[in-house]
Amino acid sequence: MDAIEQHGQADREPVMITGVGVVSPVGNSFSEAADALLAGRSGVRSIDPGPFAREPVQFAGAVTDIPPPDAAACPLDPTAFAALPRLDQLCVSPIAAALADAGLAGERSSRRIGLVLGLGAEHLKAWEADYLADGGQVFAPTCSPTLVQRLASVFGLTGSAVTTAAACASSGYAMALGRSWLDAGWVDACVVGGCDTLSPTSLAAFYNLRALSRRSDDPTKASRPFDRDRDGFVMGEGGAFFVLERKGIAADRGAQAHGELAGVGMSSDASHMVAPCTDPVQAAHAITMALHDAGVAPEEIDYVNAHAAGTPVGDAAEAGAIRLALGAAADRVPVSSTKSMSGHLVSGAAAFEAVACLAALTRQALPPTLNLDHPDEACNLNHVPHVARLAAVRVAASNSFGFGGSNLCLVLRAA
Amino acid sequence: MPSLPPTAGPVRTPYLVAVTARATVAARLAEIPALRDSGWPKSTPALPRRFLRHADEQTVVGMHAVLAAIATIPEPLEREGHGVIAASCQAGRIAAAQTLVQAKHGGGVTVSTQIVPQGSLHSLAGAVSVGLGMRGPNLGVSGGPHALSEGLLTAFSWLHGAGPTACDTVWLVITGWDDEPALDADGRPTTDPVCRGVAFAVSRVAAALSFGGQQMTLEYDPHGNSENPPVTVAGSLHSFASALAAHDSSAAPPAWSHHMPWGGDVRLTAATTAHRQEAA
Repeated sequence: MDAIEQHGQADREPVMITGVGVVSPVGNSFSEAADALLAGRSGVRSIDPGPFAREPVQFAGAVTDIPPPDAAACPLDPTAFAALPRLDQLCVSPIAAALADAGLAGERSSRRIGLVLGLGAEHLKAWEADYLADGGQVFAPTCSPTLVQRLASVFGLTGSAVTTAAACASSGYAMALGRSWLDAGWVDACVVGGCDTLSPTSLAAFYNLRALSRRSDDPTKASRPFDRDRDGFVMGEGGAFFVLERKGIAADRGAQAHGELAGVGMSSDASHMVAPCTDPVQAAHAITMALHDAGVAPEEIDYVNAHAAGTPVGDAAEAGAIRLALGAAADRVPVSSTKSMSGHLVSGAAAFEAVACLAALTRQALPPTLNLDHPDEACNLNHVPHVARLAAVRVAASNSFGFGGSNLCLVLRAA
Repeated sequence: MPSLPPTAGPVRTPYLVAVTARATVAARLAEIPALRDSGWPKSTPALPRRFLRHADEQTVVGMHAVLAAIATIPEPLEREGHGVIAASCQAGRIAAAQTLVQAKHGGGVTVSTQIVPQGSLHSLAGAVSVGLGMRGPNLGVSGGPHALSEGLLTAFSWLHGAGPTACDTVWLVITGWDDEPALDADGRPTTDPVCRGVAFAVSRVAAALSFGGQQMTLEYDPHGNSENPPVTVAGSLHSFASALAAHDSSAAPPAWSHHMPWGGDVRLTAATTAHRQEAA
């Protein structure tokens, strides 16, 4: 807490979210995803057994169709888009949508627009996709441009471009970094977010780690955060991208904001490379920092989108962190995990869950936690089980935690 | 929707940070197994036993670089609040190749549980944070040929950020192969290249007033996107490591600068009285 007191609340111009693009198991636009999350619709389904036929888990939060990019925002024609690797498509489509939504489709190269891509296992996914198509990139002693470089080139973005990786918090760290560039005046606008894709290797690795749910008899019931019968998470794919701009610039050009990225908190458990830390202090510290950064008190939080993936240890640890950070307000603040509907989008999770918060802020309703039939006593929170709840929502917080002990909390505020 | 002209003119430059510890470690691929459980300086903190057993080669070398840098600091170091940024280049390729070959023949059951936590872009930063008890944020960046640029920019972003998310001290670790290892059809290396890791602690200048060594200046070009020569992580790491070493050995060290691919330069210069007065 000393660090918080030392730095104090920032005197900064608000950073607004002026564009949103989504590709996810529950919808391929902000409105589609918001509709699905507030309707309590699961995107978990049986997946095409093709490349996964040998894998023990054949269900996931899968993206069924990736929409081609907005032609005004992306110079790729449909043929060129279709020829891209799936991971590239999962980024190009929502980035184009976010730029178009922000009204920047035609001004991509005339303004300094930065790009921060949250993506933790880019090379593993790329090498694997190539190998399964009988390629040999993984064996070649070369170092190719990264996806963030290719994306900046495709869209003609001239600002700085960085890939961030904090495992399942990667895209949240991307949002935080983009906001800091706007604070510094290094960019006029910044595209931030992240995506991930299902792959046989990651599915098998997480299964072998005993991190995945094994409820293959009923996939839509498999992701059950905070429930006493949870048995692991359901992998998903997709994610979201946002256009961030300083409030003054956005207002001057008449851009409509979906919300404000009001606060960020980051910390590390320094506990274990894989296992969640059962001591909630550092995760709570990240939440507290984010609230302080946003200038809001715990009792002013109207909704928490939990990281809660449905793992026995992780969900209980997060509940402890929320209680520690919010104190008595934890009895009142509603909490839900939208991973119960989307599955765990891994690198794209934090960005997608920011979309869930924007849905709450703009629709004045709280997305539920599906399958929360019997709340675990170790996860004693004010849950939103099964169905959405109407609520006055001005401020929402979203937690993301990852391998390597990364903790991140974002606070979003209504525009 | 009305539009605005692009912003012109530098904003809030230059940004100063103090380099308070640094070290470079280089090891051939064949030497790395011996470094997993030994070989670090005696004066450095002990890692958990067998901590690097499953770590990627670049994590092993990067961790040794951090420990070597810590060993250069005369006073015991309070690391609790330090952040970690690790910029590697194609980390995990050898393990990925072997995993894919095994999985093709044996199916998903052969895939190691270590491939994601130890072979991803976050792995080096996570290992430094976990191994050395640093509880500021830890983050992997880049993964490609612009590792040095992306790492430096992220460090400056964190150190000069506003509010409680900013750090006073960040460990920046940059790793890469001088030449990417060649692999046979089973994913086994057929060459023995050098893996290089540069680790340095950078602090807000005000937090490092007692330090009389190096400072870096970031000058951001708002027009950006100037022409750049092709870069490799090996080339930029060589250059940077040489500049750091020169500052240790020379009374009048040569200037070093690094041009960012999107515009802007990072310069390594000796600390000056003016810098210290500015910080004070």
